[in-house]
Amino acid sequence: MPVVAAFALPHTPQLLVRPPTEDRALVLRVHAALAEVKRRLTAARPDVIALIGGDHIEGFFLNAVPALAVYVGARAAGEFGRYRYAFDVHEPLARALVEQGIEAGFDLAYSQDVPLDYAFYVPLHFAMPAPAVPIVPLYVNVYLPPQPTPARCYGWGRALRSIVDARPERVALVASGGLSHFPGTDRYASPDFDFDRALLASLAEGRGADTARLTGEELDKAGNVELRTWITLLGALGAARAEVLAYEPSWHHGNAVVAWPV
Amino acid sequence: MSEAHYFFPPAAAYPLNRFLFALKSDGAARARYAADAGATLREFGLDEAARAALATFDRDRLVGLGAHPYLVFMAQVRLSMEREPATFEYF
Repeated sequence: MPVVAAFALPHTPQLLVRPPTEDRALVLRVHAALAEVKRRLTAARPDVIALIGGDHIEGFFLNAVPALAVYVGARAAGEFGRYRYAFDVHEPLARALVEQGIEAGFDLAYSQDVPLDYAFYVPLHFAMPAPAVPIVPLYVNVYLPPQPTPARCYGWGRALRSIVDARPERVALVASGGLSHFPGTDRYASPDFDFDRALLASLAEGRGADTARLTGEELDKAGNVELRTWITLLGALGAARAEVLAYEPSWHHGNAVVAWPV
Repeated sequence: MSEAHYFFPPAAAYPLNRFLFALKSDGAARARYAADAGATLREFGLDEAARAALATFDRDRLVGLGAHPYLVFMAQVRLSMEREPATFEYF
C-alpha cells in the first residue's frame, strides 16, 4: 500500500505547556497549522502513523544509545506536567520494519519498554486524526553524539519506504523535530533562521536529496541536530515538493509545519 | 571541528548526567531532591564540584563539568513547572 500522507511537524514543549516567556499569538498560529495537518490526516484515513522522532534522552539514556530504533511494545506511554499519554502501537508494522530493516542492512535497535518522548506526543496531541489510529515510534538519535550521519538517515528512509510500500496498511509518515534551536547552550536565543529558510526553499523545489549530503557538524552549527528525523522522512519521499504550511520563528525556535504530496 | 554544541558526554560526568536525567524524567527523584537535597546528591554519588554547580544550577559550570546541555535545560524546565505551576498555560 502506498504511503497516504507525509508531514514534518515541530514538537517544542512550549506549544503544549506555554510558559510566560512565549508569544501566545505565535503559539496559536502554530496550533492552527497543526489543526490543518489533523484535518488532512483524518481525510487521508491512515491505518497507522509511522512517527520518526528524536529522543530527548528520555527513552534512551547513556546505558545504551541506539542510532536508529523501532518501538515494538503493545502501548507507548509518556507524561508531561499534568498530561498523561498512551497510544496503541501497530505491532505488525513495527515488527515488519525492524525485521525487514535489519534484512536490508540497517542494524536497528528495538525496544518494548521505553517511555515515550515528547517528540512523539506533542505532535500527536495536536494532529492525531479522529478517530485515533495506532502509531509506530521510530527513533533517530539526535542529541547524543556520535549521531547517525545524514546519509545514513536518508538511506534508512529509502529502505523504510520500500518496506511500507509492500505492506497492506495505509501508512502516514510523519517526522517530528526542528527546525533551528539550541536548548541548553549559549546560542539558545539566537537560532539560525537563515539556514531554516534556505532549507525550506530547497525542499519546496523537491531537493530533499541534498540534505543527505549535509554533515553532522553543519547540523550542530545550525541548531538542526533534529533535522535527522526530517532527512529520514525525505529519504522516503524522494523528489516530492514540500508545501510549507507554516514557518514561525520564535525567540528561540524555528517552528515549521510542512506537508508533502504522496 | 571545534567542540560541538552537543558534545560527547565524558565518562567522568556520568554521575552528574545520571542525576540530571533523574531530575528531568523522574518526579519521585525531584520530590526527594526538594525534600533533602544533600541526601539526594550523596545518593547519586556526586562530587563537590558537581554539588556546588547544582546548588545554583549554573548552566555554564554544569556544562563545563561535562553535563549534557539538553539535560541541564530540561531538568530546569521540569523543576520550574513544579515550582511555579500557575505561570504555565496548558493547551
